[in-house]
Amino acid sequence: MDNLILRAKELLENKTVQVVIGYEAGPTGVVRPAFISDPANADSLIYDERCVQNLAVYLTKPEVKHLGRIAIVSSLPVMRSIMMLISEQQISYDEIVVLGISADGVLLDIADLSVMQGYIDKSDLSNPVKYKELLAELKKLTPAEKFEYWQKELSKCIKCYACRQACPMCYCTRCTVEVNQPQWISVQSNAHGNMEWHILRAMHLAGRCISCGECGRACPVGIPCHLLTMHLTDQVYNYFKVYAGTSEKMNSVMSTYEPNDKESFIV
Amino acid sequence: MARIGVFVCHCGENISATVDCGKVAETIGNLKHVAYSTEYKYMCSDPGQTLIKDAIKEHNLTGVVVSACSPRMHEPTFRKACAEGGLNPFLCEMANLREHCSWVHEKNELTTEKAIDIVRTQVEKVKLNSALQPIKVPVTKTAMVIGGGIAGIQSALDIANTGHKVIMIERSPSIGGHMSQLSETFPTLDCSQCILTPRMVEVAQHPNITLYTYAEVESVEGFIGNFKVKVRKKAKSLDEKACTGCGLCTTKCPQKKIPNEFEQGMGMRPAIYVPFPQAVPNRPVIDRENCTYYIKGKCKICEIVCPTKAIRFDQPDEILELEIGAIVVATGFDIKHADFFPEYGHGRYKDIIDGLQFERLASASGPTAGVIKRPSDGEIPKNIVFIACAGSRDPAKGIAYCSKICCMYTAKHAMLYKHKVHEGKAHVFYMDIRSGGKNYDEFVRRAIEEDHVNYIRGRVSTVFERDGKLIVKGVDTLLGAQQVEIVADMVVLATAGVASSGAEDLAQKLHVSYDSHKFFAEAHPKLKPVETNTAGIFLAGACQNPKDIPDAVSQASGAAVKVAALFSQSELTREPLVAIVNRTSPPTYSTCVGCFMCQSVCPYQAIEREEFKARDGKVVKTVAKINEGLCQGCGTCVALCRSKSIDLLGYSNTQVYAEVVALLNEY
Ligand SMILES: Cc1cc2nc3c(=O)[nH]c(=O)nc-3n(C[C@H](O)[C@H](O)[C@H](O)COP(=O)(O)OP(=O)(O)OC[C@H]3O[C@@H](n4cnc5c(N)ncnc54)[C@H](O)[C@@H]3O)c2cc1C
Ligand code: SF4
Ligand code: SF4
Ligand code: SF4
Ligand code: SF4
Ligand code: SF4
Repeated sequence: MDNLILRAKELLENKTVQVVIGYEAGPTGVVRPAFISDPANADSLIYDERCVQNLAVYLTKPEVKHLGRIAIVSSLPVMRSIMMLISEQQISYDEIVVLGISADGVLLDIADLSVMQGYIDKSDLSNPVKYKELLAELKKLTPAEKFEYWQKELSKCIKCYACRQACPMCYCTRCTVEVNQPQWISVQSNAHGNMEWHILRAMHLAGRCISCGECGRACPVGIPCHLLTMHLTDQVYNYFKVYAGTSEKMNSVMSTYEPNDKESFIV
Repeated sequence: MARIGVFVCHCGENISATVDCGKVAETIGNLKHVAYSTEYKYMCSDPGQTLIKDAIKEHNLTGVVVSACSPRMHEPTFRKACAEGGLNPFLCEMANLREHCSWVHEKNELTTEKAIDIVRTQVEKVKLNSALQPIKVPVTKTAMVIGGGIAGIQSALDIANTGHKVIMIERSPSIGGHMSQLSETFPTLDCSQCILTPRMVEVAQHPNITLYTYAEVESVEGFIGNFKVKVRKKAKSLDEKACTGCGLCTTKCPQKKIPNEFEQGMGMRPAIYVPFPQAVPNRPVIDRENCTYYIKGKCKICEIVCPTKAIRFDQPDEILELEIGAIVVATGFDIKHADFFPEYGHGRYKDIIDGLQFERLASASGPTAGVIKRPSDGEIPKNIVFIACAGSRDPAKGIAYCSKICCMYTAKHAMLYKHKVHEGKAHVFYMDIRSGGKNYDEFVRRAIEEDHVNYIRGRVSTVFERDGKLIVKGVDTLLGAQQVEIVADMVVLATAGVASSGAEDLAQKLHVSYDSHKFFAEAHPKLKPVETNTAGIFLAGACQNPKDIPDAVSQASGAAVKVAALFSQSELTREPLVAIVNRTSPPTYSTCVGCFMCQSVCPYQAIEREEFKARDGKVVKTVAKINEGLCQGCGTCVALCRSKSIDLLGYSNTQVYAEVVALLNEY
């Protein structure tokens, strides 16, 4: 990790960036995000298998944008989130420096957007293996069993919206759940309202979820809500042969139409 | 407080036969906020409308629900009645009791219950309606006609003669279209060129028409009255002003072996060419793909021989940016060629030709100077077979429709052949003879009775070559499906008419619909046959479906009238049922986060960007903004926007929600 620390220091010292977003170990050893603006503090940066949080979520926050130019420690999901945010015009590549980290933890030299593009191009973009297995298990259930499974899982939801807050693609300044004229999604946590919320969230991420799993990890009651969005990632790939976060220019599949699009899902 | 008036229509018996209208009116009358509720036999009649106007005044109504037929039929009627009664017309809603209820259900209590429910949703909705004002947009009074066939020519002339400017875009080097290739025309057998060329010249000379040939539409933006069209004028490699049209270059060009498109490949042309003698404009173009200079870098003979030094080898394509108020699409059709027919040898046999090739053979200006000579050896065929419905009405070939013109031109071809080759025998295989039209059936009868053309009702299964002859095998269904075999010298296929190449691409640029065969789609098959579903874009001629000259010309004049009607106003009034993106106070400005997915989803390119700037001019936020001139109120963006930042006036989220809630709640 010395390379990462050296690079972070260098970027802060020569004022290329004003802040580095990465990971550090807290007093109890729990890994947490670090916002480092003083080069002297860069030594606390770590990168190991515990560093899973998708840091891209901070890039759209006004209070973070305010800090200046940002260097961000980026595993593949973070890089893909960045691509997605650029394509949805939420950030521009000029505002950031990507401190890319390869799957085996090595610091990559991401000199510009095209290098990052190249790295994404040669990576496996399908859902991570452990989630694929869970999805395959769920696929085996009958529709009735599936419904029961989700009913049970979702009944636990306390509508804290941590799943939303953790997702880089949930950057809306006002989420649909906060609209009360009309109140599309009921405020209470009840079977019906919870289902509404999760269907809505999944649909909003269809074709946009980059399979980081952060939403599921953030859930305080352990609902595997990431499986809903990841299932849609599969579906979108089946129909349109695209994965989210693969190009700065990509059009969202849900908002574009190509004459040769499959239409077999129209009933 | 809301005071809603409800008017339940019997529609004669259309509604009252299955719905208890009295009960509907009574039940609705008891609802909260309903100040007046009544029933009447014909709400759309004069007394019916008066009922509404009077009730508005008498009961001080703040909203009206007319419970009658589909809003597609009478919404304008009732909105107008409300306006005359002193109520903003957009405070009037219709509950569709006819199409959505009485016509589709039997008479019983449930049907009446459903009618009540439908009316309740509209009562809840109209309470939330707001008074809207119509939108006014200016009109650019210049029309664009795309395609210079007879349909485009007719439309352009008609529009130009009303005093408006017309820009005509033709992609080939000359206007005229297919009609310029025809020999003589049914049902009168007058010479096609003779009736067409005066029109072509008129286009060229008309002070209100600007003609761009060798040009294609690059992109179309904007909306009715205000289109912005980019046109690519392909380089002709010629200074058109300097050229006098002497034609010396075309005679000296050493490259002479290029299949002549105008002659349907039955003649040759040079690389610098005028497609046909009467071409308009009568100026050559260099076909760069086949010109020796562009291929090998050497030649330039045309440049040397040109007396006015008009050749321009380095001329670039030119992009014109035009402001257009209305567009007439007249891009015509194409036909299938012999290579589409495996059963007839895939175009392998030289003496199996298509109808357009026959037109060229029969044409005095054609490659054989009007003598019917077969392509293989120039012999005059003694036995000729015409096969109608080649490809058409054949679902197995993917073309289920009738091409409409083939029956007639096949009769014409057989006749022309008999007039030219008196001793020859002409046979026609047909499925049915479709000769509806003024003097059309008489024309076919003439072919059969006076010119003794042998009509055989049945399909041809195969054509093959044996000893230099073409063997045509088919059945005669009028003789009990008896096998027939005709030994022919030449076979003419009346091949299916299909959409012109590039039609799909153009339709997408124009954002108009097309059918599964890529023909342009009309807005309504009966009542709006020349309109498209995009306001301000009209259809003329065979780009909509194969049609003959009289049909193409009448439709072209129809389209011209639509354009003239549009141009007779200085401003257009549009329904204000458009989307809006919300605005809030700084620093948010709007709940829109500027993802611009709505921009790509909008089928009408109605969504623009609006920047909010700080005092120092720095852009602090960019959000979506709807161009109300363009928005058609389809609501797609509303459904797509995740942050629910868009709403549709007249169909707002709160209104739709109220309708749904009304259905879920007891009353
Ligand atoms: C063999 C045959 C015989 C026929 N005989 C008769 C007859 O005897 N009597 C009769 O009434 N009808 C006859 N017809 C039908 C007649 O040809 C058509 O009715 C007529 O040509 C239709 O005119 P149009 O202007 O709609 O299309 P077209 O004649 O096809 O003209 C379309 C024009 O648009 C141009 N164009 C196409 N795409 C573009 C583009 N993207 N941009 C710009 N320009 C474009 C083309 O170059 C062409 O000039 C016959 C047809 C055939 C095939
Ligand atoms: S759930 Fe939908 S509306 Fe809410 S923040 Fe996520 S994307 Fe935006
Ligand atoms: S896995 Fe969850 S957090 Fe990650 S992108 Fe998908 S929806 Fe967002
Ligand atoms: S994080 Fe879990 S509990 Fe909270 S809203 Fe999401 S699914 Fe529900
Ligand atoms: S979809 Fe919604 S949030 Fe996105 S740009 Fe359009 S209005 Fe704004
Ligand atoms: S309502 Fe339809 S036409 Fe209007 S802006 Fe939205 S998507 Fe475009």
